[in-house]
Amino acid sequence: MIWELLALLGIYAYVSIASLLYAGIDRKLVARMQRRIGPPILQPFYDFLKLASKETIVPNTANFMFKASPILMLATTIALLAYTPIGFKPLFATKGDIIVFIYLLTLADFFLVLGAISSGNPYAKVGASREIALLASREPAMMLGVFTVMWALSKHGVEKPFSLANLYEHNIWEFGPMAWVGGAVLIYVFMTWLASEVEAGFFNVPEAEQEIAEGPLVEYSGRYLAIIKLAESLKEFIAASLVVAILFPWGIEMPGLEGYVVNLLIHTAKVFAVLFVAKTVFRAVTGRLRVTEAVNLLWTRVFSASLVASLIIAMGVVM
Amino acid sequence: MIKLPLLSTVLKNIAKRPATNLFPKTDPVPVPEDFRGKIIYHVDKCVGCRMCVMVCPAGVFIYLPEVRKVTLWLGRCVFCKQCVDVCPTRALEMSDEFLLATYDKYDKKLRWFTEEEIEEYKRKLEEQKKAKEVAKKS
Repeated sequence: MIWELLALLGIYAYVSIASLLYAGIDRKLVARMQRRIGPPILQPFYDFLKLASKETIVPNTANFMFKASPILMLATTIALLAYTPIGFKPLFATKGDIIVFIYLLTLADFFLVLGAISSGNPYAKVGASREIALLASREPAMMLGVFTVMWALSKHGVEKPFSLANLYEHNIWEFGPMAWVGGAVLIYVFMTWLASEVEAGFFNVPEAEQEIAEGPLVEYSGRYLAIIKLAESLKEFIAASLVVAILFPWGIEMPGLEGYVVNLLIHTAKVFAVLFVAKTVFRAVTGRLRVTEAVNLLWTRVFSASLVASLIIAMGVVM
Repeated sequence: MIKLPLLSTVLKNIAKRPATNLFPKTDPVPVPEDFRGKIIYHVDKCVGCRMCVMVCPAGVFIYLPEVRKVTLWLGRCVFCKQCVDVCPTRALEMSDEFLLATYDKYDKKLRWFTEEEIEEYKRKLEEQKKAKEVAKKS
């Protein structure tokens, strides 16, 4: 138990650094795509330290949740790291932990929304309502895809069905040509889901700076904003980790501690590649949709694609 | 079907060099011909005709009757060049200088013909008067 907690702290430190590093790389790449030079790669670290050292202003209209939400959000995200597949089996992998994973992933967003509506700022309330609308629209597609994959893997007679640890024992590409077609559709579904999870490009709806002044984050400043930014960045890495673990879970077999480290590094490289497509390029080439359009797209294009992919994979497994 | 017309451009741009000017490390973008920068005031050429005071939209110029010159504070200047165009003696001109940021509104570099210079000029006038009187007496 104590070793697992130490490992969790190590993973937390590593993922914090990796996710903030990717935020820097992302800004640099978007700048280069627009023929700019961009900030230094370590800029998110400087931003974090600066925000943490700034004066924190709490509005008069805020209630106690305003202060508690960022901490709860970060705590949720750290707890989520214990269930995240990052190149090796999750620390607390157990039967059915996929439910816990999805629950904690959405809970982090709920805490952000709670903090926003506790600030008493109408802009934050608009941002929070958009956040919830997007959250409710994007998760079903992901859930259906994940549960289908989990169900398909459980057909292989795994030890703990519906655990994220199964993803490293078998993967959906083993089920023959039918599942390959379904997997290709799933790649589209999960990439779109990831883009809406990190709120890039089309889905930059809740934090629309030009429309509603940063939405949920409008009243946050100083230490709380630093915590929220860190938690969001961790959540990005975790969401991308899920996508990588489900679609491209290949690592290398290697005993001992070195095996864990090497697999973690391979996984990080894959996460960066996935985020490059779903976040950086997507952010650079697309503008924001309206909130109604984004919800429509998620329900009609993405959820239906998820349904189709699930049926194809299911047929592939059953046959 | 979602069209992404920018995709090819964006991916090509990664390989290209940034089209920006790294200002503090390099020189700023060169100014064009006839650039309207900071005003230069030649006190010795000025005859005190008050044209610039009449024409200035921002109230940069203050006429000093006792010395028949103007003093100016460029904190108000809008760089419209009307004073330069109207000055009959070419006592005013536009320079190429545009990096005028300061910490102090009444910085030396935003002033021409300051109080000390005015006092000095008055003293010079007195001396000239005295010299004239001495010359008359002799």
